[in-house]
Amino acid sequence: MAQRARNGYTYMLMTTDTSPDPITGYAVPDGCRDELLDADGSPRPHAAELIATLQRLGPEALTAAGRRRDTIFMQQGITFEVAGSDGARRDRPFPLDLVPRVLPAGEWTTIKRGLAQRIRALNAFVDDVYHAHEIVRAGIVPWSLIVSRPSFARPVHGIRPPGGVYCHVSGCDLVRGGDGRWRVLEDNVRTPSGISYVLENRLAMTRLMPELFAGHRVRAVENYPTLLLESLQAVAPAGDGTPTVVVWTPGSLNAAYFEHAFLARQMGVELVEASDLVVRDAVCYMRTTAGLQRVHTIYRRLDDDFIDPLEFRADSLLGVPGLVRAYRAGTVAIANAIGTGVADDKAVYHYVPEMIRFYLKEEPILDNVQTYLLTDEKQRRHVLERLDEVVVKPTSESGGKGVFIGPHASAAERQRQAELIEGDPERFIAQELVHLSTVPTETGDGRLAPRHVDLRPFAVFGDEIRIVPGGLTRVALREGSMIVNSSQGGGSKDTWVLDDGTAMDGGGGTPRIPVHRPPRLPDIRYGGWHGQEQQQQQ
Amino acid sequence: MLARIAQELFWLGRDLTRAEHTARMLDGAFHADVAGAPGERGIALSWEGVLAIIGAKPPAPGEQATESARAPAAAFGRAEVARLLTLDTASPASVVSCVARARERGRTLRDVISIEMWEALNSFYLSLGRYDLQAALVTGPYSVYQEVKERCALFWGLAERTMLRDEGRSFLEAGGRLEEADMVLRMLRVAVPYGDGDTGDAGHEGEALAVLHAVGGLHAYRRGVRYAPTLPLVGRFLLYDSAYPASVAFAVDALRAALTNADAQPQSSPPVLRLGRLIADLELQRRTLDGAGPLAETLERVQEELEHIDRDIGDRYFAIAALAAVHL
Repeated sequence: MAQRARNGYTYMLMTTDTSPDPITGYAVPDGCRDELLDADGSPRPHAAELIATLQRLGPEALTAAGRRRDTIFMQQGITFEVAGSDGARRDRPFPLDLVPRVLPAGEWTTIKRGLAQRIRALNAFVDDVYHAHEIVRAGIVPWSLIVSRPSFARPVHGIRPPGGVYCHVSGCDLVRGGDGRWRVLEDNVRTPSGISYVLENRLAMTRLMPELFAGHRVRAVENYPTLLLESLQAVAPAGDGTPTVVVWTPGSLNAAYFEHAFLARQMGVELVEASDLVVRDAVCYMRTTAGLQRVHTIYRRLDDDFIDPLEFRADSLLGVPGLVRAYRAGTVAIANAIGTGVADDKAVYHYVPEMIRFYLKEEPILDNVQTYLLTDEKQRRHVLERLDEVVVKPTSESGGKGVFIGPHASAAERQRQAELIEGDPERFIAQELVHLSTVPTETGDGRLAPRHVDLRPFAVFGDEIRIVPGGLTRVALREGSMIVNSSQGGGSKDTWVLDDGTAMDGGGGTPRIPVHRPPRLPDIRYGGWHGQEQQQQQ
Repeated sequence: MLARIAQELFWLGRDLTRAEHTARMLDGAFHADVAGAPGERGIALSWEGVLAIIGAKPPAPGEQATESARAPAAAFGRAEVARLLTLDTASPASVVSCVARARERGRTLRDVISIEMWEALNSFYLSLGRYDLQAALVTGPYSVYQEVKERCALFWGLAERTMLRDEGRSFLEAGGRLEEADMVLRMLRVAVPYGDGDTGDAGHEGEALAVLHAVGGLHAYRRGVRYAPTLPLVGRFLLYDSAYPASVAFAVDALRAALTNADAQPQSSPPVLRLGRLIADLELQRRTLDGAGPLAETLERVQEELEHIDRDIGDRYFAIAALAAVHL
């Protein structure tokens, strides 16, 4: 038994034992890549130690840790609401899977460089859209497409925020296909959420499964709030002293309120609602117990449409009247800037590789998923013929709403989708189906099985672009499912980026800190205490 | 600090203290009910009295007033009152409703209070959901009240240990202290009759014991006063003795200290000034025991003054947030 525990997977390969190993004994779905196991079922080199530890712990330890996790999450209030079968809404502990996803250092370096490049291009695009329109004049992106996006914001035309930074916070969704290549599935430069789960997941994992970390150097994620605060302070309008930064939440009933409060707490800044903010003479203030106090940077977590009833939706109760006036006057910075939604629209996504070549004169490091524009006659016909193979997405929706997955759809659903496309081709784009990679995931009884995952790394753009190692790995907990949204049966995993000692952050890189030797402290004579004790005993 | 947040913290403190005092009071009422009074008269601070104290309180923000809680007290006995005030989620005055409100506020304030405080609040709320009231009433709900007391103490202990001692902490403290003074005053006003309150007789001895039980101060009284508990002595102890942390004098002292910390200009703050006068008054009366007139009237005056202070706090610190709410 001890023999088997020590090198469990080789044992599995060499015998014809019929009961499969609970940790590695599973089949990877066809056409997919498993990130921890090879095609023949043996662990990939960077995951060997992790798999060996999991085998040593066994299914019982995993289920026990799962129970501890649920208790702790309930107590900490790390929950999300789900509607039960009787319609009542209940709090459920957030489903964190106990098996981490592991990314080798080299792979992460590629992702990081690719993302930074993409975000620089998207930022340049937003600036261009509201100023010179160079990319339009070069004939790359049609102006009619840009102005017809619902997130195109006329009121901010000609406004350039401090430092020319628009996309202060971004989170792009990456997927990995059967060929092992990373691709960008979606951009999000409005208000991407999930970073709080990255930090909470790591904290929970160190408490629940400390054994797994042994033998690995996992790069830390907990400095995100510091990075965010520094960036938000860096873009504040010039003034005396430390700028006042606030996080603006739509309210405690918002689904992402946990994250808003989390970020405010971690940064040590105020969490405000619309009723706390007021604009007087184009300057933004908050209402405090000591009267009005100036606000310099607002990290807002609500959409453009709602932030100022004078400029956007007049019926918005969540907004602050006059805020855009203050923004235009340059007395307050808003992150992300107003109007960035034009860059992450799904119809604009198609053009991002071209943007990278146009603005940065570089080749894209990360590819797009093959996308078809349905306004183009030829591409549309091609898509309609292959409707049972592709994915169709509405251009101006988010959160997985209205997504049509060809291979999973019935004939009637395909027929309806075809009619929708014919009726209004501008509303949709089509993409090739990516066979999301899998990572072994605990299935409830302590055994592991492959489940599909994506990755959302988080980047912060202040003076420079900085990306937290890893990001949020979302996992579809249902077998075979590729839908990872937490509202639709998705969970998450802790994401480890291994540190091989070469990866450096922040351009120049930080030198290794020499080993610290504690100073000599005055002698504490433990012996004296023992002596007393002995005397007392006598 | 944001006025809205300050107000939430203030009421978080109030809701928790209200929950604790309600639990202590019910515990005391159960005790008096079972043990009976030594004299021939009934105990004023029993079921009807408890309901009168809680039922007459103005609703907290976020509290939905229901008719049942405001119903006439006369018809209520042990089973009804205990149900209404302990674990009835529909009754806004019940302990569990207070805790639910406090937890809801804590959820909004998660960025301000420490993580440990939030977890204490959250698990407090979750633990109350576990109890089956009917079963608890049969065996005596002692364990429920015990848990409420312990959880409240845990929260305040964590606040003491982990929360930054800033303006927010001061408002939390202020809310707790104001509620404490208010609850003790209400209890005393129900227990101390007008007119004959100053003549200690056997009938009042049971009342005095009940009051001490209901604030959890019997032991402190025994050590501090060293006379047999009579109603006037117990009344004075709970009103004037600033060495006892649940006394009115101690609570208003702490309230003034908290507001002085929170206010940028305490010298010109109406609630701080009023508190200064009240503290001086209490001190004067304590030292000139006979000059103060009957205890019941003093209690009434102090409570009126406390209501003024409550209004002044609202005007000075929270009105700016309320203004915004009206404009929406």
